[in-house]
Amino acid sequence: MGLKSRAVMVAGAGIAGIQAALDLAEMGIKVHLVEESPSIGGRMPQLDKTFPTNDCSMCILSPKMSESVRHPNIKIYTTTTIDSVSGIPGDFTAKIVERAKYIDQEKCVSCGLCEEKCPVKVDDIFDMKLRKRGAVSRYFLQSIPSEYTIDPHNCLYLNKGVCRLCEKVCPAGAINFDDKDKIFEINVGAIILSGGIDSYDPIHLGNFGYRRYKNVVTSLEFERMLSASGPLGGHVVRPGDHKEPKSLAFIQCVGSRDENINHNYCSSACCMFAIKEAMIAKEHIKDLESTVFYMDIRAFGKDFDKYYEKSKDKYGVEYIKSKVSDISEDDDGNLILKYVYENGDISHKQFDMAVLAVGLQPRKSIVNLSKSLNFKLNEFGFCRSDTNLPLATTREGIFVCGAMNGPKDIPESVTAASGAAAETLKFLRLERQDISAEKDAVQEKDVAGDRPRIGAFVCHCGINIAGVVDVKDVAEHARHLPNVEYAEDLIYACSQDCMNTIKERIKEYDLNRIVVAACTPRTHEPLFRETITEAGLNPYLFEMANIRDQCSWAHMNEPWLATVKSKDLMSMGVAKARELKPLKRLPIEINPKAMVIGGGLAGMTTAISLAEAGHEVYLIEKENELGGNLRNIFFDFDSDPQVLLADTISKAESNELIHIYKNAIIKKIDGFVGNFSTTVTGNNKNEEISFDHGVVIIATGADEHVTEEYLYGRSDRIVSQVELEDILKTRKFPGTRKPKNVVMIQCVGSREEGKMYCSRVCCTKAVKNAGVLKNILPNVNIYIIYRDIRTYGFREKHYSELRDKGAMFIHYTPENKPIVELVNEKDTDSQVKVTVFDPIVNKNIEIQADMLVLATAIDAKKENIDLVKMLKVSLNTDGMFLEAHVKLRPVDFATDGIFVAGLAHCPKDCDESITQAKAAASRALTFLNKKAILAEGTICEVNDSRCTGCGYCVHICAYNAIELDPEKGTARVNDALCKGCGACVASCRCGALDLRGFTNGQMFGVFDSLEMTNVIDE
Amino acid sequence: MDKNVPQGVKLGSKDKHKEAAVDLVRSAMKSGVIDSALLPMEVPSGDSYAWMLIKDEAFLAKAEPFAPTMPVNAANAVKRLTRKGTGKYKTAVLIRPCEVRAAVELVKLNQAHLDDLLLITYDCVGAVPTDDYIKDPAGKNKAFKTALVSGNFNSGIMKEVCSFCTDFSRTSSDLHLSLTDDGIFLSSNNVKGDDFLKNMKLEAKADLSKWYEKIESISSVRKNKKVQIFEKIKKDVDGLINFHKIFENCIGCHSCGSVCPICYCRQCFFDSTVNEQNSDLKFIRARQKGVLSFPPDKLMFHIGRLSHMSLSCVSCGLCSDACPVDIPVASVFSYVADQTQSAFDYKSGNSVGDALPMRDYKLEELGELGELSKSVDRQEGADA
Repeated sequence: MGLKSRAVMVAGAGIAGIQAALDLAEMGIKVHLVEESPSIGGRMPQLDKTFPTNDCSMCILSPKMSESVRHPNIKIYTTTTIDSVSGIPGDFTAKIVERAKYIDQEKCVSCGLCEEKCPVKVDDIFDMKLRKRGAVSRYFLQSIPSEYTIDPHNCLYLNKGVCRLCEKVCPAGAINFDDKDKIFEINVGAIILSGGIDSYDPIHLGNFGYRRYKNVVTSLEFERMLSASGPLGGHVVRPGDHKEPKSLAFIQCVGSRDENINHNYCSSACCMFAIKEAMIAKEHIKDLESTVFYMDIRAFGKDFDKYYEKSKDKYGVEYIKSKVSDISEDDDGNLILKYVYENGDISHKQFDMAVLAVGLQPRKSIVNLSKSLNFKLNEFGFCRSDTNLPLATTREGIFVCGAMNGPKDIPESVTAASGAAAETLKFLRLERQDISAEKDAVQEKDVAGDRPRIGAFVCHCGINIAGVVDVKDVAEHARHLPNVEYAEDLIYACSQDCMNTIKERIKEYDLNRIVVAACTPRTHEPLFRETITEAGLNPYLFEMANIRDQCSWAHMNEPWLATVKSKDLMSMGVAKARELKPLKRLPIEINPKAMVIGGGLAGMTTAISLAEAGHEVYLIEKENELGGNLRNIFFDFDSDPQVLLADTISKAESNELIHIYKNAIIKKIDGFVGNFSTTVTGNNKNEEISFDHGVVIIATGADEHVTEEYLYGRSDRIVSQVELEDILKTRKFPGTRKPKNVVMIQCVGSREEGKMYCSRVCCTKAVKNAGVLKNILPNVNIYIIYRDIRTYGFREKHYSELRDKGAMFIHYTPENKPIVELVNEKDTDSQVKVTVFDPIVNKNIEIQADMLVLATAIDAKKENIDLVKMLKVSLNTDGMFLEAHVKLRPVDFATDGIFVAGLAHCPKDCDESITQAKAAASRALTFLNKKAILAEGTICEVNDSRCTGCGYCVHICAYNAIELDPEKGTARVNDALCKGCGACVASCRCGALDLRGFTNGQMFGVFDSLEMTNVIDE
Repeated sequence: MDKNVPQGVKLGSKDKHKEAAVDLVRSAMKSGVIDSALLPMEVPSGDSYAWMLIKDEAFLAKAEPFAPTMPVNAANAVKRLTRKGTGKYKTAVLIRPCEVRAAVELVKLNQAHLDDLLLITYDCVGAVPTDDYIKDPAGKNKAFKTALVSGNFNSGIMKEVCSFCTDFSRTSSDLHLSLTDDGIFLSSNNVKGDDFLKNMKLEAKADLSKWYEKIESISSVRKNKKVQIFEKIKKDVDGLINFHKIFENCIGCHSCGSVCPICYCRQCFFDSTVNEQNSDLKFIRARQKGVLSFPPDKLMFHIGRLSHMSLSCVSCGLCSDACPVDIPVASVFSYVADQTQSAFDYKSGNSVGDALPMRDYKLEELGELGELSKSVDRQEGADA
C-alpha cells in the first residue's frame, strides 16, 4: 500500500458521484470530482418527477449540486476525462484531461448573450434533441458550473475559421479561442467510478418504428416533455402534429430482458419510470388514457407497490400483460399496436402516442476506460463487481457506485455512493477534523449598538437583469431609503472586481449591513457572505433581494412592473437589513464512538467499516450469537453465504475497537447527535452497562412472515423458502422418496391489502433454490406460481436459465389464488394437491406436488416500536424504519446522527445490505470524523419570559429539537438538532419563539416596507 | 331509557340550592374526600364576586356557589392554581359549564391540570353582565335567584351569549347538579365522579329522565335561536369593511384579551415591542393609504386573537363584559368560533382527549400527496 494520500478522485458527477464526493469531503478528504459533460448533475436534471414520492427531480438535486460546488474540500473538473491511472492503492497518480472550453470560466458571467447571437443551431442533447441550442451554450439552465462553453465540433470559427460573433457580444471578454486542453496529474489514494449509464437506443428495434414514426418517443424524451422546464414547458403534445394526445401506450422492456441483443438483464428502474410517467401524464392531460404493456411489473423497491396500486386505483392507469410485437402508423399519425397475450392471442389497439421504456446499458466509453484503468467488465459490459464486495472493481483501490456496475434507481445509487466512499477509507489517511481552527480569519467588527449603516448594491448581471429592470432607478430608490448610507449599481456583483468594490465601500463608508439585489440567494448568498466576512463583518449582516428570478425573469415582458417590484424587494431587503444582528455558529462536540443496534450482516458490516476507520463501536445483539437472518441462508448463485457469514463474524469479533454485547437489551437511549448515552443489559440481566457515543446505526433486521395460508404447518411437505434452503443443504427431503414434482407459490404475505409491499428477495430466492434443486435432482419438475417475476438486474439471467432448464412458470392473480389440499391429511407422507388457473391453457390445472414451497414475506420487526420511542424516529405504514428522504437520504433519519441499514429499512438482498451498511458507516463518519460540528446560526430561540409552555412547538418540530423544560415549564431548543425551518415560530401564538436571522421583528419590518401593495389593515 | 340520562342522588330542595351545595362541599372536606374548595365569594363592597380557595370550613358559609355574575372565568382561577402540575391536595370547584369547557381547553394547551380537581357543574341559567350587576347588586341578585329556582332559562337579564348558549348543562365536568322541580340531584359524569360518590357513600339512583328531556328541549330551541342570531351577526361582520365597523370604537385597551380564559400568553404579542419600527415605516404606510390611525394594529389585534383562540373559544362572554366601549365582542367571536370549529369538525371543551386541530394532522392535509389525491378526486368529480 502506498503513502496513504488524503485525496480521492470521483469520476462521474451524477447523483452518485456527488453523494460520494460530499460524504468524503465532509469526512475531511479532498475530492477531485471529474465529469465528462459541462455540468455536474448527471441524469437527474433531465427527469421531471421522481417515484415514488413525485418530488421534482431538479428541486431535490440542486441543493446537493450547490453544496458540492461550494464545499472547500471538493474540486470540480467538468468536460474532463480520465487518461490513465498509475501507481498503487493509497498512492495513485491520475492523469486527467480537461477539454478546452474556449470561454474563460473566471470571466464568464453566464449572461447568455453569446448563445443568443450564435448563428449555429444544433440539437440539444440535454433536452433529448427536442430543442435547438447554439454552438456556445450552457448545458442546462441550472448547470453547475453555470458558465458557458463552446462546443468545438459545431463552432463555425473553430471549424471553418469564420464568425467570432460571440467574442464581439460578450460583455465580459470571456471568449478565448486560443484555449487548449489542459492536463492535470492528481495524486489520490483511491478512486471511485460513478460514470453512470446510457439508455438503449431503440432505433435498433425496427418493429417499434422509433424515428420512423414521429409519435413514438423514448421514456427519457417523454420525461423532457413532461418537465415544466423542458422544451414543451410541460405541455405534452404529439411530436407529429403538436396535438394533445388522448391515449398513451407505454411499452416496457425495450432493450431489456432481451437475449437477442445481449441484454439478458432487467434494467430495474423502467417499470417504476413508466408507472410514474403514466400517472404524471394523466395529471397533465385531462381524460388521458394511459396503458402499460408489460411482461412483469417490477415494483420491488420500498413503497413501490403502493405507488403501482395507486396508479391503478386512483389514476386509472391500465396494465396489459403482453408483449408488443409491432407498431404501425395510420395516415393521421396514430399508432396501431399489435400485441400478444400470454396464451398466444393476438390483439390490436390504437394509440395517439407510444412511449418506449428504453433499458439501461453501459456507456460506450466504459470499454476504453476499463482498458486504460485496468478493471474488468462483466458479461453485459458493466463494470464487474462481486456479490460480497459489491462496491469494489477488479482493481484494488478503485471502487464503483451508481449504475455503472448494474442498473440501479436513484436511492440505490446514492446508497452505493456513500458505501463506496466508506470503502476508500482504508487507502486514505484520516484525521478527525478540528472545526474551531479557522484559517486567516479576519477580526470581526463589533457592530452592537451601532446605528445601521446600510450599503445597497444592485447587480445588472449583464443584460440578465438590466435588460428588463431599470437598475439605476432601483439603486437611486435604495439611496433614499432610511439608514442607507451608500447605494451603487454593479455590472456583475459576483465578479472578483465588484466583490472588491463592495469590500472597499464597507471600509470607505463604514457600512455595517449589506444588501445586494441580484440573481438569487440560492446560489450566491454564500459568496457574498464570504465577501463581507473578509471585510470584517459578521456573515449574517447580509441580505439579498432576488431581483433576477423574481423580477427580470418572471416579468420580462413588463419591464416597468419588474422595476417597481425590484424597488419593493429592495425596500424589503433594506428593512430586513436594518434589523439584522450578528449571529454565531456554536460548536457541538462529537463523541467519536458509535453504537450499532443489531449484529446481523448489516450491523456487523457497518461496525467493521467504522472500526476500520478508527472508531470504537458498541455492537448490540439481542440473540446469543451474531449473524441474524444470514444464518439461515446457505446458497447463492456464485458465492457461499456461510463463508461470507463466517468471514464477517470473525472480522467483527477480532477487531479490538468493536465491543460486542450479546443477549443485550437496550434499556435507555438519551441525548442527541454527538452526545448519545445508552444503557443496556448484557448476559447478566441484572447488570446494566452504560456508554456514551456520537451516533446510532439501526440495523435490527426483519422477521420471516409466518403464514397461515396454503395449509402451512399442516404437513412436512409444505415449507417456506428459508426452510427449503435447510432441506437443500441437508438433502433430507420430506417423505420417503425423492420429490418428483415441486411447486413454489410466490408473494405469500406480500403485496396484499394491509401489507402492500414487495419482499423483493423471494423471486430471486425461488429461482436460486429451484436451480439448486435442479442440480441435485435433474429430473424434478418445478412449477413456480407467481404474480410478477421480479428478478431485477442481473438476476434476470438466472431466471431465463431456469426457464431453459424446463421450470414451469404459472401466473396467478390475488383474486384467483392457487388452492392447496392435502390428499390424505392424516398421512404426512401423502402428496399435496395444488390447483391453479393457468392463463396459458386458459383452464385450471392440478399438480400432485411432493413439496410445496411458500415464498413467505419479510415482515418488519414488532420491536421496532421500542426504538422509535427511544430515538424519536419514524416507521412507515409497514412498520419499517422511515428514512429522511426516500430518494436522496436513504440511510439517514430526519434526526441527525441516526442511520439505518439492512432489512430494518426494507427488504433487500445480501449485496444490497452490505452496500447500505457501508453507506450507513459513511454517513456516520461524516459526523464522527469531526471533533465538533457547528450549529446553524439561523436557529430558533425561546424567550422564557413569554413562553407559557403550551407545547405546540414540541408537536410541530419535525426534528425533535424542542422539549419542555420540566423545571421552568418552558420550551427549550436543542441547538444541535434545530434546522432553522421556523415551523415552531409560526406555531407560537405567544411570540415566545423567534428564528434568528428571520425574527418576527425583522419580518414585520419587511412587510411594512412593502410600498406598492394595497394592504388594508386599519 | 336513553343511555345519556344520568341517575342522581337528591341533595335537597330546589330553593335550598346554595345550602345543598355548601353542605356537600363541607361534608366532603370533613370526611377528607377533598381538602379544599374553590368557590366564588362576595367581595366586601357587595357588588361583585371573587374566586376563593377555601381551606377553613368557617369560610364556606360566606361562599356563594351560584354567583349571579362572572367577573372572572373560573378556568383562569384553575389555571393559576394548577399550571405547574399536580400536587397533593384535592380541591372541589363549583363551576359553570362554559368555565369547565375553558378549563378543558387549557389542559390541552398545557396551562392547567385537572388531576387534583373535582369539577362540579350545574344547570346554568346564564350570568348577569358585570356592568348591570354593579349598578344594582340587590335587584340583580334577586332576579338571578328567581331565574335559578324557577328554572327560567330566558330571564332576559343575562349576557347576550348566554341567551343562545347550548352547552348550559351537564358537560365535561366530573359531577353535575341538576336543578329540577323535585329538588337538587347530584350525578356523576365519569370515573372520578363515580369515585366521589362512592367515597361519600352516596348512591345515585333517582331517575332524571324528566329533567333530561327538559334540558334537551331547551337546548334544541337554543340551537335554532343560535342559527338565527348568527345569521344576523354574519350580516353585521362579514367582510373586512363590516368587521372594521364593528371594532371602530375599540380603544385598544386589550381588556378582552386579559379576561379571556383562552388567551393564555404571558404577554400579548400586540403589547410587545416586536412590531414597533422606525417611524419612517409608518410614513410609508401612511403614504400608501393617505391616512393611518394610531395606535396602529387595532384591528390586527382582534384578528390575531381570533386566529389564536377561536378554535378553543367557549363563548363565556367575558370579553363583552370587559369592553369599556360596549363592542359586542363575545357575539362576534362566538360566531367566528362556530365557523372555525365546524371547519375542523371540532368542538371546544368537549373532552381533554380531543386533539387540538392545529396540532393534529390528517392524511389529506399532508402536502403534495394529499394534493395529488385531491386533484384526482376533482378530476373525477368533473368527469362525473
